[in-house]
Amino acid sequence: MFLAAFTSSGPREVPLDATLLSRLMQKDVSAFEQLYDRHSRLVYGLVLRILQQASTSEEVVQDVFLQLWRNADQYDSSRGPFVPWLCTMARNRALDHLRLKSERQRRREDQPEELPSVVVAPDYEKALDEKRRAERVRALMASLTPQQKKAIELAYFEGLSHSEIAATLKEPLGTVKSWIRNGLLRLKEGLQATT
Amino acid sequence: MKNCDQFRELIEAYALGALDPEDRAALEAHLAAGCPDCAKAVEEARWLVCQLAYTAPEATPSDMLKGRLMQTVRAEAQSERKPRMLPTKNAIPSWLWVGVAALLVFSVYSAWTTRRLQNEIREANERAATLGIEHGRVLEQLADAKREAMIMMDPTSRKIALWGEHAHPETLEAKWHSQLGVCIVGDKVPMPSANHVLQVWFIPKKEGAKPMPSAMVRPDANGKLMLYVSAPPESMDDTKAIAITEEPAGGSGWPTMPILWSGKVT
Repeated sequence: MFLAAFTSSGPREVPLDATLLSRLMQKDVSAFEQLYDRHSRLVYGLVLRILQQASTSEEVVQDVFLQLWRNADQYDSSRGPFVPWLCTMARNRALDHLRLKSERQRRREDQPEELPSVVVAPDYEKALDEKRRAERVRALMASLTPQQKKAIELAYFEGLSHSEIAATLKEPLGTVKSWIRNGLLRLKEGLQATT
Repeated sequence: MKNCDQFRELIEAYALGALDPEDRAALEAHLAAGCPDCAKAVEEARWLVCQLAYTAPEATPSDMLKGRLMQTVRAEAQSERKPRMLPTKNAIPSWLWVGVAALLVFSVYSAWTTRRLQNEIREANERAATLGIEHGRVLEQLADAKREAMIMMDPTSRKIALWGEHAHPETLEAKWHSQLGVCIVGDKVPMPSANHVLQVWFIPKKEGAKPMPSAMVRPDANGKLMLYVSAPPESMDDTKAIAITEEPAGGSGWPTMPILWSGKVT
């Protein structure tokens, strides 16, 4: 039960998201608007952190929520909570945009849109409201070494691989691997301890 | 060949998307082989990585973004609602029923029109055939009239007076043209009995030869008689006389009634 501190939503919110999603599958515009009002700040903040440009970030957020509107039936609420799935979709879309911009990887325009698989909550997971969860994760990240934090952020927000991070930081590959792994394990242990 | 513990060291980086291609391919092959412990570890690592989204500072998108989204969503909801409602109310859209009805009406009208046109064509053909026959008859009559006129006016035609017998004192006149035939005319000719006609006979000179039956005619309502005989005997010189009797309609092969008019061919 050590990860109870970062469940996707509280006991009241999980069924509410699920209820809204159920209505969304029936093309309920009101349900869509409530989901947008509830989660758009988190999604937009994530995308803006990755792309660093407001107008482009709004385009990506628009794509993400339109995908949600059009493909809500692809989300299986019984397998996992909604917010991690939504954030994964937003991150993937933003990183695609970033890679397209940098011409490292061009995504064909006619390529079918792929939605992420559901992020399954661990057995030990407990509900926690979003605000407390965000505070806890930020606090734990702040407790990592600067190198660990930097390496994880380069991977998560810029989509860089071990080798690319090593090249960017001008550090040995093995060192970068250790920073990332140890940082994430420390984050995990911190969340367990919170629970 | 890596063992399971070695793969476990890659799992967090894999969930983060930070593995280089070779490591990622090796781990995915291991997962595809069906290692349940590593698969569970990947799910937990993905969950952990998802929490990193909270490290990004929250930001508020513009109201314009929400406005654009809601406008698009409302438009799509409206367009999706229409086709969803139609099948529940009526499997076939109303415009299709109208089309089918129009097609049926058109088909019936076409069949009726076709039948009417066929009838009209048939009647027109019948009228044309009748007119053709009539035309032929008129042409024939015209030709006969021309021949009759030529026979009557040609000075080479031999004139034969047909004297009446008994109750028929009126005199008829025949003219015989060696090429065109014989023409017989008369006025105030008594009408033969019902179902009877006046029949012309050519009486040969040869002893014992029987009379040659020829054309039949009934005078008109005014008693005017005009008869053209297109095929008289070949030689006038072999004919003794021309006679007319009253015979049953359709004529006779042998005179059955007394001679009403007769005249010698001279």
